[in-house]
Amino acid sequence: MYNLFIFIKKYHAVIIFILLEVLCIIMIVQSLPYQNRKMVNWSNNIAGGISKTTSNWYDYLNLKCENEALVQQNALLLSRLACDDVEADTACYDDVFTYIPAHVINNSIYEANNFIIIDKGKVDGIEPEMGVIGDNGVVGKVLNVSNHYASVMSLLNSYSVISCRFADNQYVANVVWDNGSYRYGLVKDIPSHLIINIGDTLVTSGFSNSFPADVLVGTIEENMSTSNDMFGTAKLKFSTNFSTLRHVYVVKNNYRAEIDSLCITH
Amino acid sequence: MYNTLIRNIIRFVALVIMQVLVFDNIGFGNYIHPTIYVLFMLILPFDFSKVRLLINGFLIGMAVDIFSGTPGLNAAATVFLAFLRPYVIKLTTRQSDLEGKNCPTVSEMGLQWFSVYAILLLLLHNLVYFWLEAFSIKLLGLILIETLLSSIASLLILLLTIYLFKPIKK
Repeated sequence: MYNLFIFIKKYHAVIIFILLEVLCIIMIVQSLPYQNRKMVNWSNNIAGGISKTTSNWYDYLNLKCENEALVQQNALLLSRLACDDVEADTACYDDVFTYIPAHVINNSIYEANNFIIIDKGKVDGIEPEMGVIGDNGVVGKVLNVSNHYASVMSLLNSYSVISCRFADNQYVANVVWDNGSYRYGLVKDIPSHLIINIGDTLVTSGFSNSFPADVLVGTIEENMSTSNDMFGTAKLKFSTNFSTLRHVYVVKNNYRAEIDSLCITH
Repeated sequence: MYNTLIRNIIRFVALVIMQVLVFDNIGFGNYIHPTIYVLFMLILPFDFSKVRLLINGFLIGMAVDIFSGTPGLNAAATVFLAFLRPYVIKLTTRQSDLEGKNCPTVSEMGLQWFSVYAILLLLLHNLVYFWLEAFSIKLLGLILIETLLSSIASLLILLLTIYLFKPIKK
């Protein structure tokens, strides 16, 4: 502590100089639009580079866990193939959706509106509005696309609405996020006569062109509706753990243009 | 004591007014932007402490900035000048030269010394000013041209101002 005081006493002029310069530069960047844009650009470039590098290292260090997860998923897929009750139209269903694997290189979960950056872009066939799913379920929708990267609006975003249905009785509802924990979201617009049970599973409805039907979204954690509401509300636990998200698949609907051309006539 | 303070305050106000009302409004071409208020920093007494210099530099820079609508731009350059002023004085003089001298002015130190001292500090000041204005290293060529031309123009106007207001007694 004493040494600190000696240091400050000796270099007080330099310290005041640095403080004043920093103050000036903060004022410049905040008040002059050109300098502000330059600064934001510059910091984005630096932050993007650092994110990419740390993400590379992180991937390497987690290879073992990733391998195990992939092996498990492989096993699951193989067992599904082996099952006898594969529906007859699965083959033509696969024709509709193609899956593009991607890496998460930047992810936020604590903001009011969270976004994910993935390392696939226009060159790899990614387009805005495509759905993004992870190993455990829905992740979000593609928002913007650059040549090699894309930003994804995750479910943890106040603008995100996903059309879902209850897996057991096919009733449709919407899943939104209420800026709370990254593990939980809200199910809204549940028909009021429907009895909501804790542990009910929600899957995608397949009504939006972004997601195939029956992709897991989450399970009901708590019924929040009161008896005089028009529509019921429930707390949902997302099946995707957004804090450990590394691998995702972008869902490409091969007939999207065709479906959209029909929708325009509405 | 009070005499010096009042004289400095009058200088401060006069130079800021000259800068923002006169020289900021004259078009000297694309590359030349003379900074006259820097004279206030140049001729502060030798015995000013570093911290006092820094605070004075910040205040006059901000005063000019408020009038020209560029908060922090002139202040950053002037604080930089204030920080380097003691080192430039040390570089350009010997200890024995400074005995009995109060302020680094033309009348006390001579025209030749003052010109070298002023152009060095003006170059440093303008370099920071134009770099922060361009805010990019890619425009380095333009920054250097602006710095050089503006510093020379500023020095000429500074010397004119000095001779105009304080004729040298012979």
